[in-house]
Amino acid sequence: MAHRWGMVVDLDSCTGCEACVTACHAENNIPTVGPTEAARGRAMHWLRVERYWEGDFPDVKVKFKPVMCQHCDNAPCEAVCPTYASHQTDEGLNAQVYNRCIGTRYCANACSYNVRFFNFFNPQWEKPLQLQLNPDVSVREVGVMEKCTFCVQRIKAGKTAAKAEDRELKDGDIQPACAQSCPTGSIIFGDLNDHESRAARFTHSPRGTKLLEDEGTAPKVTYLQRQSWNEPDTQ
Amino acid sequence: MTPMDRRRFLKVTAITGTTAALAGCGNPENQIVRFIPEEELVPGIAVWKPSVCPLCAAGCGVIARVMDGEAEVFRKGKPGLTRMGLARKLEGDPAHPLSKGRLCVRGQAAVQVTYHPDRLVAPQRRSGDRGTGQFTEISWEEALSLLTERLDASVAAGPAQIAFLSRPRPGRRHELVAEVLRRLGAPAPVTFEIFDDAVLRRANELSFGRHQLPTLDLAHTRYLVSFGADLLGTWNSPLAHSVAYGAMRHAPGGVRPKFVQVEPRMSQTGASADQWLAVRPGTEGALALGLAHVIMKAGLRAAPAAGRAGALVDGWASGLPDFTPEAVERETGVPAARVDRLAREFATYGPAVAVIGGAPLAHTNGLAQALAVNALNALVGSIGVEGGTAFMPQSASPQAQARTLRETMAAAPPQVLLLDDANPVFAAPAAWKVTEWLRQVPFIASFGSFIDETSAHADLLLPDHSFLESWVDSAPESGATSFVATVAPPAMRPLYDTRSMPDVLLEVGRRLKQPLTPAMPWQTFEEMLQTAATPESAPTPAATGRPAATQPLTQPPTAWRAPVLDGSADEYPFHFLPFASQAFLDGSLAHLPWLQELPDPLTTAMWSSWVEINVRTAEQLGVADGDIVEVTSTAGSLRAPVVISPGIGPDAVAMPVGQGHETFTRYASGRGANPLAILAPIAEPSTGQLAWSATRVKLAKVAEADGSLILFAGATRERPDHTKGRG
Repeated sequence: MAHRWGMVVDLDSCTGCEACVTACHAENNIPTVGPTEAARGRAMHWLRVERYWEGDFPDVKVKFKPVMCQHCDNAPCEAVCPTYASHQTDEGLNAQVYNRCIGTRYCANACSYNVRFFNFFNPQWEKPLQLQLNPDVSVREVGVMEKCTFCVQRIKAGKTAAKAEDRELKDGDIQPACAQSCPTGSIIFGDLNDHESRAARFTHSPRGTKLLEDEGTAPKVTYLQRQSWNEPDTQ
Repeated sequence: MTPMDRRRFLKVTAITGTTAALAGCGNPENQIVRFIPEEELVPGIAVWKPSVCPLCAAGCGVIARVMDGEAEVFRKGKPGLTRMGLARKLEGDPAHPLSKGRLCVRGQAAVQVTYHPDRLVAPQRRSGDRGTGQFTEISWEEALSLLTERLDASVAAGPAQIAFLSRPRPGRRHELVAEVLRRLGAPAPVTFEIFDDAVLRRANELSFGRHQLPTLDLAHTRYLVSFGADLLGTWNSPLAHSVAYGAMRHAPGGVRPKFVQVEPRMSQTGASADQWLAVRPGTEGALALGLAHVIMKAGLRAAPAAGRAGALVDGWASGLPDFTPEAVERETGVPAARVDRLAREFATYGPAVAVIGGAPLAHTNGLAQALAVNALNALVGSIGVEGGTAFMPQSASPQAQARTLRETMAAAPPQVLLLDDANPVFAAPAAWKVTEWLRQVPFIASFGSFIDETSAHADLLLPDHSFLESWVDSAPESGATSFVATVAPPAMRPLYDTRSMPDVLLEVGRRLKQPLTPAMPWQTFEEMLQTAATPESAPTPAATGRPAATQPLTQPPTAWRAPVLDGSADEYPFHFLPFASQAFLDGSLAHLPWLQELPDPLTTAMWSSWVEINVRTAEQLGVADGDIVEVTSTAGSLRAPVVISPGIGPDAVAMPVGQGHETFTRYASGRGANPLAILAPIAEPSTGQLAWSATRVKLAKVAEADGSLILFAGATRERPDHTKGRG
C-alpha cells in the first residue's frame, strides 16, 4: 500500500519554544526577508506558532498552536492553480512544483491556513551565509510560491536508505526537521496508512481535532487538544 | 607526522588551483581541483560530526551535518576559494544526556555564527580612536608579539595586573585560562552574565552545602511549582528541561502532573502552566513561605523535616506565624484561598518540586526568596529524590574560582584586559559606567568573533575560531542527574585566519620573557582535552541526593522582607520587568538573522523592541499597539513601541532584553532599545549581583505608531480575506 504521510501535534506538551520554526528555516533554505519586507507581511515562516489568549489578567491562559501546511486531502490551493504547480502526490503530500509555478498567488488566497509564501524578490543570503544552505533542497526564485513540504527531501532519503538496505520503512525512520528538533517531542510524523505508526494511532485519539475541519479541506495534520489538571481522587 | 601528507598536499593544490582560477576562468587545472573532496567526504553525502553548542551555559551536545561545498576562505592573509566540508545544519546529539537528540531554537540558529557576514577574518589592531571601531588587519605574528610585549610589561611591573573577562562557561577551556593566569601571577578570571543566578548558588550553598544551580527531575515530577523561572525558555538548562517536560506530559497511564507558574509577567514557560499565578514582583518568596505555613499548620509536614534549609528561615521552627494565607494575599496579591489550596495540593500530590530562578532573585531580597523556596522543597522532601531536585556531581565549581566584574571594577584597573565574548558595555546598566572603566585600562585585547560594544574598545582583535571549527568542551553545573562533560573535535576546517583562544594563550605563554612557572603541561588545547578529559577524570559520583551539610550553621536565620525598589511609587508608578528574550537571551544572539526574524512566542514581534503593558495601562496612556512610549527610570530613559498584553498586571511593564545594540553587526546595530541601560544600579547584598528587577519606571506616550513594531502577519483565517491576503 502506498504511504500516506501525516502529522500529529500534541498541544498539551507544546511549549511554544519555536525550535521547529528555526529548524524549518535551516532545513528548507527559507530566506529571511529583513525588517522592511517583514513589516509588509512578507516574512516567510512555513511553520509558525500561533498563540490564543483566554481570559483577562490575572486569570489568563495561553494556548500555542504550531501551524504548517495541513496537506489537505481536499486542498483549496490545488483546485485554483492554473498550471498544476500545486497538486496532490500519490503519497498524500500537497506538493508545489516550483518550476511550474507562474506566481498567480491564487493558491495563497485560497488557503484557509495562510501557510503559503510568495517570493516577492530573489532570496538574498549575504555572503557567506549561503554556505549554510541545504544542498538537498532547491532555492526558490522570485515569482514562486513556496510552503511546507513535510520535508519531502527527508522522505525521499529515508525511502532510498531503506531500499539500499533492502528493508521496509519503519515508523520513525523519517522525521521532518521540526519533529526532529522539537524538545518536548510534540510533533509526530508518520504514515497514516500504517495503522501501527504513532501518527496513525494519535490521529484517532479522542483529543484529536483538525483545523477548520468544517471547511471540508480534510487536513492530514491532527492537533491533540491541551488537557487540564483535575484533582485526583484521593480516596 | 609526515611533513606532507595526502591531505596537506590536496590542500596546497586546492589553494594553488583556485588562485589560478581566479586569475583566469576556465582553467582546466581548477576543474580538477574542485572535484577533489576531503578524504572523508563524498560530494553530496552528509557526514555527522559532534560538537557542543556554545550559545548558553547549558552545554548541550549537538551533531553537525557536514557536506562538501565551495567556500570563499581567507587564510594566511589571502582570500581564496576552496572545496571543503561545511556544517550545514545542527541537530541535537541523540547520545547526549542533555539534548537527547533535540535542539532548542537558539541551537538551531547557531550555525549562523560560523557563516556570519560580519565575522572577523583575521587579527586587527586599532587604527582610530578607542571605541570608534576603526581597525587595520595585521598578521598573527605581529598580533602575538604585541600581546606578548604587553603581558611581559605587566608581569615585570610586579603582580601581574591582567584581567580575563568571559561569560561563565564551565569547562576545560575556562580551566585552561585560570591555569595560565595563575602561572602569570594574575588574579582569577572574571565572568559576567547579567542573568547569571549567583544568588541561587549562594542560597544553595547555605541550604544544602552546594554552591551550584539545581537539576530538576521533571520527567518524574507530579507537581511542579516554578517561582519565576523561565525553565522551558531561557533559564539554566532550557533544552534539558523541555525534554524532561515532554516526558512529564507524556507520562503513560498515570495521573496528569500539575505545573504551576508564579510570576508577574506571563513568560513563554508560564503559558504552558496548568495554573498561572500573578504575583507582585519580588514577593514570590512570601508565597513560598505561605505555602510552608499552611503545610505545617495543617500537619501535612512538620517543621524539622526541612532540616538546615528550614533553620535558615526566620520563624520556621514556630511555623512561620507571619505568613498566613491572608497575610500572603496582602503581600503578593494571590487570593488566600488559592494559597491554601496550592499548599495542600503541593504537599499531597508528590513527588512535588519547587524551583526559583531569574527575576525573583534579581531583587534586594533575592537571597531570602531563594532560601524560602529551598526550605519549601526540603519540607516536602523533594531534595535528592526521584521527581525532585538534585545537584549534579561536579569536579569543581568554576564559579567559585571566578571573580565578578563588579569586584574587578572596584579594584585598581588592570594593565591588560583580555576579553572573551563578554559584552558588559551592552549588558550592564549604564550606571555601572563600564565604558569609563575600559578607558582606564591601558591595553585591551579581544578574542571574540565580532565587534560588539565592548570589543569596539579593544586595541587588538585576536578572533577565535567558531565553535564548529575548533575543539570545544563543556561541563555544565546542572541539567542532568549525572556528571556530564562533553568534548568534541572540530566539525570543519576554519574558514578564516583565526586561531583558537586557548592555543593563543599557550603560545603567548611560551613567548614570554619570564616563562610560565611551572611550564604549562600542554602545548595545545587539544592536548589538554586529550589528557584531562578521560572518564577517570570525572568526579566520583558523589551522592546526588541530599548533600551532607558538613559546615556548621553560622548564618543567622534570614527574614523575608519586601523588596526595596528604585524610584518612588508616586513618581514612577510601574514596576519595570526586563526579561531574557527567547531569541537573544541577554542580547548576545541579536546578530543572527534567523533569530531576528523569529516571531516572539507571545507577541509575534520580529526585528523589534517592545514594551508589554496591561490593557488598563494602555487606556490610561491612550496608546494602542505600536504607539511609541518613553520609559523613564531614575537612571535614564528609552523609547519603544507598546504591545498590549493580557499577561501583565496594571502595575508593571515588561521589556525583552536583546535589542538596542549600537555596534553588533549589520543585523543588530541600531535596532530597538536596550532595557538594561536604564536599570538602577541596585545590588542583591549577599552576592553583589545586579538586582535587575528592582527598578521602577514611568511611561509617557511620545508618538503614534511609526512602524518600528514589526509583527508576523500570519494567522489562520476562517474565511480567506481576498483584500488582505499576503499575495
